[in-house]
This record gives sequence, C-alpha cells and structure tokens, in this order.
Amino acid sequence: MHWIALQPLCDAPPGQSVSAPDEAALRVALGWRALQFTPRVALQDEAVLLEVSGSERLFGGRDALLQQLLQPPLAISGWAQGASSLLALACLRTGVTQPSSPDALALHTLSAARSHLATLSRLGCNRWGELRALPRGGVVRRFGAELLDALDCAYGLRHEAPTWLIAPQVFEVKLELHALVEQAGALMFVAQRLLAQLQAWLQARQSGVLALQWTWFFDARRSHALGDAPDCDGLLIRTAEPTRDMAHLARLTAEQLARCTLTTPVHSLRLQSIEVTPLPTASASLLLEERLHGDSLHQLVERLGARLGAQQVVWLQPRAEHLPEHMQSLEPAGLALPRLAPRAKKASNADAAPDAALYPSWLLERPLPLALQGSRPLYQGALQLLVGPQRLELMGWAQLDAPAPALRDYFIALSPHAGLLWVYRERLTRGQASDRWFLHGIYA
Amino acid sequence: MPPALALASSVDPSALVGVWRADQMASAVGSVLSSGYPALDAQLPGGGWPVGALTELLQVQSGVGEWGLLLPALACSLSRATSPRATLVLVGAPHVPLGPALLARGLDAQRLLWVRTDTPAARAWACEQALRCADVTAVLAWLPQVRTDALRRLHLAAHDHAKLLWVLRPAAAQHESSPAPLRLLLATASPGLGAAHESLVSILKRRGPPLEQALPLALHSAALRALLAAAKLRGSEARETLVVRRAHALDRLAAAV
Repeated sequence: MHWIALQPLCDAPPGQSVSAPDEAALRVALGWRALQFTPRVALQDEAVLLEVSGSERLFGGRDALLQQLLQPPLAISGWAQGASSLLALACLRTGVTQPSSPDALALHTLSAARSHLATLSRLGCNRWGELRALPRGGVVRRFGAELLDALDCAYGLRHEAPTWLIAPQVFEVKLELHALVEQAGALMFVAQRLLAQLQAWLQARQSGVLALQWTWFFDARRSHALGDAPDCDGLLIRTAEPTRDMAHLARLTAEQLARCTLTTPVHSLRLQSIEVTPLPTASASLLLEERLHGDSLHQLVERLGARLGAQQVVWLQPRAEHLPEHMQSLEPAGLALPRLAPRAKKASNADAAPDAALYPSWLLERPLPLALQGSRPLYQGALQLLVGPQRLELMGWAQLDAPAPALRDYFIALSPHAGLLWVYRERLTRGQASDRWFLHGIYA
Repeated sequence: MPPALALASSVDPSALVGVWRADQMASAVGSVLSSGYPALDAQLPGGGWPVGALTELLQVQSGVGEWGLLLPALACSLSRATSPRATLVLVGAPHVPLGPALLARGLDAQRLLWVRTDTPAARAWACEQALRCADVTAVLAWLPQVRTDALRRLHLAAHDHAKLLWVLRPAAAQHESSPAPLRLLLATASPGLGAAHESLVSILKRRGPPLEQALPLALHSAALRALLAAAKLRGSEARETLVVRRAHALDRLAAAV
C-alpha cells in the first residue's frame, strides 16, 4: 500500500478567509482530478488521500506517477506520501514529504489524538513512539479504543476502510465571486475555474459533455431596488459532438457571454452539466502523416456560428426542384452537422441533373431588373442573346396562390464586359407595355 | 576573376532553398496541386497551385471565370483528402454558388461551407479560423478591403497548416504590395477575339521571370462551349434561311397579330 496526501490550495484574496463550504468544494474538485490516477481516492479532514499501489505500473512507476500528478494545473499547497493514509496525512501536517521514522512524528499530527493532547503531554507523551510504548490496556481504558485503532492503522497493523470518493452523476458547482461583477465578460475568470473542475469531473467519469448550463445569480438587494427583476439568469451551451476540450467550451462561453448584458451585479456563478455521454478514447494512428493538426470541423463551425451568428455559416443542400432559386437550400451549418456523417458514396457528376452543366455557377440572390435599349436588355453594354429561349413555368407549390402561372424564358447572353450571363424575360401579363428582363446568373 | 564572382559562379543556385535565377522559374518550395489547365501549369512555379501559400486572384469584377479557373483544383483537393469530412470553405462570396452547376463540373457542393459575413475584419478572422481546421482542405476568400498585415497573417496560417488559400480581390489592388508569392489577374477576353469566350489570365507576380503576355484559357464547361458553338452555327444558318421561313403561314399569322 502506498498513499499520497494532497492539500488543496485556497487562493483567497488578501484580507478575506476562505469559507468552509468553499474549502470543501476545493477538496472535492481536487479529488475529482486525482480520480484519473486511481479509483481509490478519499477525503479526510483537510486533505485528499490517494491509494496508488494498484495504478503505479500503468503510469510507469511511482516517480513518474508523482510527476504527472503534481503537474501545474493541480492547485495544491503541499503533498506527502507514506505507507498508510494516516502516515501520509501526518507527514503532510508536519511538512515533510516522506517520514524518516513514524515513531518521531508529533502526536498532534494524528487526528484521533487531538482531543487528548493536553493529557498526553502531561504524561510526557508527545511522539507516536512514546504513545505506542504505553501499555495498551491502560490507554484503551483512559482514552478509548479509537486512539489505538488509529495508531494501528497508521502503522499499517490494521486494515483501513475509508469512504472512497465517487464522482456524482450530475456536475453542479456554484462558485461565489470575490466581488460583485457588473459586466458579463468579467465572469469568464470564474468560468475558467469552473470549467477546470468540469474537466476533472469528466475525466473521472470518462465522459464528454454535450450541453452545459451557466447560471448567474443577481445581488438580491440591487434587484429588489429595480422592482420585479429575476434573481438569476443563464446561458445554455451546446456542442455537436461530446467533448472534453475545455479550450473550445471556454471560447464558446466567451463568445456568448460577450453578447449578454447583466441588469444587476452578479454575486455567484453556477455550472451544471445538462447532457453527458461516455466518450471513448480514440486510438491514435502510428503513421505520422495521418495525424491531422488543427481543430475539428464541428469546432470550427461552432466557433464561427458563435461569433457571426448561426445563420451566417451555411451548407448548400440540393433539393429536387426545377426552379433555379429553389434548387438548393441554405442550411445553418450548426444544425446540419450531426447529419454530416462520413458518406460512403461520394457525389459525382453522374448525380447531377443532365442539364446542370449548362447552369451558371453564380446565382443572384434576387434577380436583377435590367434596363432596356429599344427591345434589347442592357448590362454593362448591350446584351447579345446567344442561346435560348428555355422556358420555365413557375408553378411550384410555393406559387400556388399566385393568380396565374408565370413564365420565364431563359437566355444565355454575352455582355461586352461582364462575360456570359444567364438572363430571363418574363412573359407579358395583361396591362404590361413591354418585356421585363432580369439578370439571374453569371457563368464564372 | 574577382573572388566574389568566382564564389558566385561556383555555387549552384538550384542547390539552395528559396534561391532561383531571375530568368528561370523557381522550383516549388512546398507541394503543388495541378490547376487542371496544362497551359497555366507550365507558367506556375512547380507546375501548379502552391499548397501552403497565399495565392491572390485579382478581378475587375466577380463572375469572370473564377469558378472555371479554380474548380478542377478544388475538386481534386476534395477527392484527394483522406479525412471523410474534408470541407471547402467560402468566405463572403459575391453571389450564391449554384450547387447543381458545381456538381456537374465535379465539385461536390455539399462539402462547401459558406461563411456569409460582410465586415472585412470578420471575414479575415473567419478565414484564419478555417485555415486552422484540420478538416478544411482549401479556403476561398473574397477580401476586397484587407490590410497587408492581415494578408501576411493569412499567408502564414496557410503555410503552417499546409492549406490551399485563394484570396479574391479587386483589380485595383494590383498596385499595392502583397505578401502573396503568386498573384494573378483574371479578365474577360474582348468579344472581338473570337467565339471561344475565353478568359485572359495574366501573372502579375511569381517566383520566376515576368510573363509578357496574358494567357488565354477556355474556362467554361465543355458542355456550355459545345452549346455555344452549336448555337453560333445554327445562327448563321438561320440568317441564310430567314427569307424562306418568312413565307411560312404561321409566321404570316404572327406578323398580322
């Protein structure tokens, strides 16, 4: 058995002390982070205790495990190791990383002896070794059995049965802000800390997150002054694929927060996991060239959508319609992403409509009315009609309520400066004096 | 012979990376992708579009053959990609790209991610984000107003992630300095040139000697060119038979109405 004791780092601002619930939350967060190294993690008093003898080999030995465990994102103020949990904890309290001899440890480092410290010191008993040398029967009668049980556990003579830490089903952590925050962007600092905790929790549960809920709580006094204001507000963040990449989630959160306005100052922020799915670890390729460097497509789409608006990032989806403007629809890329599974069959020229090769590559969003010179349409010079007419009837479902089906005669025309164009002439309707010509596409 | 000259003649310039004789074409530093037009490939350093570098395409106005020029290379980049989600990104196109027409010419339009934004800063930002994505093979960006430092950033991003990047800008930008190693000017041929409806591609800047004459390229699809040729033939025939057709009864009726 080998135990490591960690003490969380409480970074309170100067002049303030960390409250007990905050400290407990810090310990739990540290425990979640420790769960990725061993399933045997326990919280005891002020410390987090890990039993690592089972997982040492996986991480390449005790030293390598310690090195990985103590890497920077871990916020600890001290650590120690020992053969039993109480020994490691006592070393942490003394301030040494490894005990030379347990007998020399001071008695106040043993939690069970703390209530009897005065009596014991009057007996001249200040070290673990001295307490152990006393007759057991007398010690049990005077101080109770717990003291000797704890001492036996510390020496490894007795089996320890701590309550192991288990990551809960749902992540929900609320952090109090050190000062009232009035701008949404300033919440990002606390949000980063919550996301770090979320990452540790996801790692412990071997899951990825699909949806997150941020909630911020308004200062009650100020919101009452405003009248019937709500006491909290929030933000829901979704991703297309389960992720454990906190940098991506932080960017999405920052983009969304930048658009929020806080009506009143905020005193605390809460993060909840809404949707979580198991995240299988992808096996990496051994070949160097197969490793792609960069973000994945869904990250790109979500980031673009978060800043520019979801309607601004679109896919072109073909539709079976004969009207040029309805041949394809623009779908917001964020919605279409889950369906964008790798397709077995790639689209090829054979899938295209037979006359699609004669369509222009640019389509004008709105047909542009053309001026006329006599009966000839103009677009950067007089147009010379080369091919046509091709007649299209506008009797689609969309135009059912129109009084009469409109007809369009399409021509391929040559403009002296703008190249080949796709223009159409609308059929004359009653009361209309002359033809109306429109520019609808450009052959580019 | 002075020692400096002796040294210069003893060094083989082709052995140095990034050095080439001014009268010869440079060999490409990175990989290239064939443009699909042999006449153009012959004039591009390395024999194709440079992968991992910014290429500037200047036009007097949009719609003068940019799709025709780039389609073969774009289709090739998509079909060559190993990633099943290989994607092409358009940033701020002037009109709507018509998917069926692109598909008929070999480009799967469903692999086209279109970022529709108008502000110059947002376009440059979106372009850079797209270059950083592993699944994106090529980026086409319309950046009419872009600063040189933003272009340099894009060039470096394309270089770092080995992406194809074309930036389309107005022809007026040809007098500004640019970090792009390859700059092309695209224009329509004057109608007097013939019935080929060709476009003229002039190379403003390349790693090699300047190109004296603009390159005429037939950029429209083969089907469209065949249709135009047929229509021209029919038009000349129709003019000859005009007198005969006037005598038809239906035409007389139409003239009476």
